[in-house]
Amino acid sequence: MASTGQPASSLKRSAVRDEDQLIITPLGAGSEVGRSCLHMSYKGKIVMFDCGIHPAFSGMAALPYFDEIDPSRIDVLLITHFHLDHAASLPYFLEKTTFKGRVFMTHATKAIYKLLLSDYVKVSKVSVEDMLFDEQDILRSMDKIEVIDFHQTLEVNGIRFWCYTAGHVLGAAMFMVDIAGVRVLYTGDYSREEDRHLRAAELPQFSPDVCIIESTYGVQLHEPRHIREKRFTDVIHSTVTQGGRVLIPAYALGRAQELLLILDEYWSSHPDLHKIPIYYASPLAKRCMAVYQTYTNAMNEKIRNQFASTDPFDFKHIFPLKSIDEFNDTGPCVVMATPGGLQSGLSRQLFDKWCSDRKNACVIPGYVVQGTLAKTIINEPKEVTLTNGLTAYLNMQVHYISFSAHADYAQTSTFLKELMPPNIILVHGEANEMGRLKQKLLSVFADGNTKIITPKNCQSVEMYFNSQKMAKTVGKLAEKMPSVGETVSGLLVRKGFTYQIMAPEDLHVFSQLSTGNIIQRITIPYSGALAVIKYRLKQIYEGVESSMDEESGVPTLLVHDRVTVKTESENHLSLHWTADPISDMVSDSIVALVLNVSREMPKLVVDSETVVNQDEDSKKAEKIVYALLVSLFGDVKYGEDGKLVINVDGNVAQLDKESGEVESENGGLKERVKMAFQRIRSAVKPIPLSGS
Amino acid sequence: MGTSVQVKPLCGVYNENPLSYLVSVDGFNFLIDCGWNDHFDTSLLQPLSRVASTVDAVLLSHPDTLHLGALPYAMKQLGLSAPVFATEPVFRLGLLTMYDQYLSRKQVSEFDLFTLDDIDSAFQNITRLTYSQNYHIPGKGEGIVIAPHAAGHLLGGTVWKITKDGEDVIYAVDFNHRKERHLNGTVLLSFARPAVLITDAYNALNNQPSRRQRDQEFLDAILKTVRADGNVLLPVDTAGRVLELILILEQFWEQHQLTYPIFFLTYVASSTIDYAKSFLEWMSDSIAKSFEHTRDNAFLLKHVTLLINNSELEKVAGPKIVLASMASLEAGFSHDIFVEWAADTKNLVLFTERGQFATLARMLQSDPPPRAVKVTMSRRIPLVGEELAAYEEEQNRKREEALKATLVKEEESRASLGAELSAGDPMAVNAKITQPSSNAAGLQFGAYRDVLIDGFVPPPASAGPMFPFYENSAEWDDFGEIINLEDYTRNNEDMDHSSIPAEDDVNGKLDEGSASLILDTTPSKVVSSEQTVYVKCSLLYMDFEGRSDGRSVKSILAHVSPLKLVLVHGSAEATEHLKQHCLKNVCQHVYAPQIEESIDVTSDLCAYKVQLSEKLMSNVLFKKLGDYEIAWVDAEVGETENGTFSLLPLSTPTPPHKTVLVGDIKMADLKQYLASKGVQVEFAGGALRCGEYVTLRKVGDSIQKGGSSGVQQIILEGPLSEEYYKIRDHLYAQFYSL
Repeated sequence: MASTGQPASSLKRSAVRDEDQLIITPLGAGSEVGRSCLHMSYKGKIVMFDCGIHPAFSGMAALPYFDEIDPSRIDVLLITHFHLDHAASLPYFLEKTTFKGRVFMTHATKAIYKLLLSDYVKVSKVSVEDMLFDEQDILRSMDKIEVIDFHQTLEVNGIRFWCYTAGHVLGAAMFMVDIAGVRVLYTGDYSREEDRHLRAAELPQFSPDVCIIESTYGVQLHEPRHIREKRFTDVIHSTVTQGGRVLIPAYALGRAQELLLILDEYWSSHPDLHKIPIYYASPLAKRCMAVYQTYTNAMNEKIRNQFASTDPFDFKHIFPLKSIDEFNDTGPCVVMATPGGLQSGLSRQLFDKWCSDRKNACVIPGYVVQGTLAKTIINEPKEVTLTNGLTAYLNMQVHYISFSAHADYAQTSTFLKELMPPNIILVHGEANEMGRLKQKLLSVFADGNTKIITPKNCQSVEMYFNSQKMAKTVGKLAEKMPSVGETVSGLLVRKGFTYQIMAPEDLHVFSQLSTGNIIQRITIPYSGALAVIKYRLKQIYEGVESSMDEESGVPTLLVHDRVTVKTESENHLSLHWTADPISDMVSDSIVALVLNVSREMPKLVVDSETVVNQDEDSKKAEKIVYALLVSLFGDVKYGEDGKLVINVDGNVAQLDKESGEVESENGGLKERVKMAFQRIRSAVKPIPLSGS
Repeated sequence: MGTSVQVKPLCGVYNENPLSYLVSVDGFNFLIDCGWNDHFDTSLLQPLSRVASTVDAVLLSHPDTLHLGALPYAMKQLGLSAPVFATEPVFRLGLLTMYDQYLSRKQVSEFDLFTLDDIDSAFQNITRLTYSQNYHIPGKGEGIVIAPHAAGHLLGGTVWKITKDGEDVIYAVDFNHRKERHLNGTVLLSFARPAVLITDAYNALNNQPSRRQRDQEFLDAILKTVRADGNVLLPVDTAGRVLELILILEQFWEQHQLTYPIFFLTYVASSTIDYAKSFLEWMSDSIAKSFEHTRDNAFLLKHVTLLINNSELEKVAGPKIVLASMASLEAGFSHDIFVEWAADTKNLVLFTERGQFATLARMLQSDPPPRAVKVTMSRRIPLVGEELAAYEEEQNRKREEALKATLVKEEESRASLGAELSAGDPMAVNAKITQPSSNAAGLQFGAYRDVLIDGFVPPPASAGPMFPFYENSAEWDDFGEIINLEDYTRNNEDMDHSSIPAEDDVNGKLDEGSASLILDTTPSKVVSSEQTVYVKCSLLYMDFEGRSDGRSVKSILAHVSPLKLVLVHGSAEATEHLKQHCLKNVCQHVYAPQIEESIDVTSDLCAYKVQLSEKLMSNVLFKKLGDYEIAWVDAEVGETENGTFSLLPLSTPTPPHKTVLVGDIKMADLKQYLASKGVQVEFAGGALRCGEYVTLRKVGDSIQKGGSSGVQQIILEGPLSEEYYKIRDHLYAQFYSL
């Protein structure tokens, strides 16, 4: 399973920041039908859509290409509906891989998922080693699956997503994912046609930037609904009235419920048919009926209104059938049986029994997979091979009436025309069918702004969205609008993909964070006079001010505007200050000083209020600056009007000592001198009193 | 400047009257809730009538009378015509509540404030949303996004969040943070720092015992009564809290295999439970889970019998438990049953919620309870003799008029039907069906038409006279219609007959039982008599209201800590109490407006947008703090090509800034942390003693919260020692220094 889709644009990648790249990789259903699974990453967030198996394979071979990705990095996994090719590898993925993100599906999907997969585990006839998961794995996975309702917007790690009705089957959803303003729509399987119990797929309110869409039916067109329903009921009606039996092989869930609704309704309106029984032979469908009866809110308005008077899923003319042994084959009847492909099971048993009688009929109601008997008999061969190996004449009538709830070409093209997504990715369709659809869509979107891509499995699609990061400046910082060139300083707070800039004081207002202050008070043993300390401090710090404590009247010293020194008792001094790196440093030096003083005691000091000579200080500073510059640049002279002239290899720079301005023809030198002078100055000059 | 927000209460402030508030967001007027009381006192709606026509959208929060009772009346009489938004359960159960109210009233009075048609037409325009669905308001309110969120309390109960330009206005009344049997707790706590929070003070002075204890007492009281051969009456609401009570009883009966019959008696009981069954998505996680695992719907009731009229109840001998609407005992089945049972000392009337002000329930809940109460007993009795004759004459005249109107209507609707359908064929089918069934129904059908004329005169614009077959283009339908599915499927070869709506909806259910009342064609009148009832039965009140209690409300408010807080709905004392509390502990801007007093809660927030340049961002190092990432930036303002501001890196060296310590320290957490680092710690006298000498104190946190500083102060004290510095390092480790 080597990757076939190595990123072709490693050059481009360096130019664009990595995280602006949106990568979509089909791990299944890329130019094929089955094992839907798509991996998408953008801005460091990873979303996976669907997690199905391929019905034509078994064991590990049926899984999507999970080894292409790192499951532990996936943030969210979204399942569109309960069909095996969309959800059946979920227990494996949740229980047997390093995946630790969150999984979402709709309520109805979750309820049916469990029943369907338990059934799948029971009926799949593979060896124990080949089993991908067991009943226990399914139960455990149920605890990890979270539910989402249609239109409900959820946010996980900054990924916002919500879902729309997709038609197709009960609980089927189309997911819209929004990461940092880039929207991706994944339709899953969808149908834009309302039927007896399901709604049509909705048209999303917003146009997505990328639309990942199914292409099962490619450029084919469906028959109008009422025509195919009429064809269906007519075939059945005429067959049973002529004394024949009708076999409808169908998958247990999805279309079967729709067909049962049609049949029950038809029987209700035709009393002459009441004596002819309809059976549906699927214990699974029977178990799922409770789900259909509960999640009516996912259905269309019409059937919900019916629920108010009678339960439409409480069929009056249809009876469940457990096995062929119970079945009393005495006369005309209608049997709907699983599986849909006539591979084995009850539908095959009945087919073997009935196929050679020309009064009988077989109605195939939906998409049939290549290689199954159902696909074979659509072409009406003269003979068929029975399960026991014998051949028999195929005399029964075979009708193919597609009730498939997938979008056809007309639906797909109108859907895309309404949405006008700039990027379309086709998945879930046979390669040929998909190619035809792509060509036809390209002619529809001929303006050239729409890209249509049909990736194969593991072939990555890369797209670039450079999003502007916008921040909102709020609170005190925003009290006046700044003008160009001013500086803005504050806290930049990021939550998800939103940025806010605010003053530290406002932090608690606009976020749940708060700022703190640590006030420190430390006591040091010291029994000397405060004056001694003051004298020593003055030698180090510029600002040492004496004052009195207002409450106790004890003399205090305020050092460097930050640290207060106070006599606590005869033998103790106390320092207090508000913690920050500079104050901590100042306090440490005071502590060291006090300890030193205590050790050197007693010592006489002249308490002379020496007035600090400003001039002398600045002269001293100037000398130091000069000396340091010489050590850095060598040739430094005093020029006119107090400027320093620096000469390096013939390049001359003039430095103004007061402002720090540098004039030089050589840009490099200018910058270096400027930088050097700034550093020297900050070293020579005292620490500024206030920090800000 | 921020978004302008004004709040103007229309009803329900400084008292426990129904709720109704006008909230304007940048000139877009939301009417949030549209409640009425069980007396249907029109004077309460005076303020609403003055502003009804200016309302742009109505948001409903809970499916009970107090929150949406006035909607039909306001839509019909007060000129309210704005689109309405609610969750699916609020819509369905609200509708049932209104039906029940109407039917209960109609039974005992000539109720004419609104009709079933008015209820239907008021509800048919409701847009249904799901929880946390962001709905973008189109047109005038462009830019405003509304989203309902779970409130607890009632099924579908909503906390509304109105967002404009990133500022949230949250309306949260009657929320419940506790998870219950059928509901999850509210998600209110997940909202942080909204610009405005509107909430109620209803429970500010109430505190509840623990749920388990309360449930136990509840069941004990009931069991004690029935074991002593008494009956228990629980006056309940139509479709709200009663669901929780039913589940409690159902589960207990199941566990203990009890056989005492339980009845749920309202005019819409069976519909209520049917809808409840299909609302599992809206219920608690445990209900959803049990359904997923066993497919057992919690509302598939085994021990509770649903009744829609009184007569069946009388057939059951022996002790029984009856949950009957209305909770106020003012009308409905509960009223009748109370009058009947009050005189027997063995019986128990168990109130599960505080009665509305000035109702019989409230009177009975007073302490000590009154010995005797005066009640008005009203009965609808058939007319006899002269009255009947006069009535019939009147009816005949009216019928003729109506018939004329009907014919005109039918013509019209046919015409419109024809226009709707492309071909004539389905229409022919339709007409065919209409004719035979109306003939077949014969007398009965004519009788139905009478009902409309009898009970409530339809307004000229109403489609009423067309009864049961008028085409209502909207999804809602007329009332009392019986559509038999077979009627229209029989001849229908063409399966695609979507043109015939199968919309019998709720009514289908109603028909079964309460049809006798709604469709009662016998001319009748209401006879009332005053009667004194001696209250000898036991009376008990237990709080099953499902609202957060006072203490929780306070802590929730402190947690949500809105920038501005508006208090509504609650007795004057409760409102004042909560206001004072919040001023001290939650925020500086607490408002409790009077009725029709418009207060401006526009946030005084300044904001502008800037673009963060790539250059700047490449040098910013974020530190992660929970959900947030935070960094200090110094930037220079520049301008982009399209004229917006952008932030560029500074061209001059960064000036020093005051260090900011970010982090929220809980003393208890700190204690654990220090202990884990091998420091001996204990709390002593409000301070944390670390080791032998060092103490840590935290001051000014809660007091100043929401105040101007909002900075927590931690004081670290100690003598010069190694320990001091060690503890300081640990303390620093709790903060992010920027």
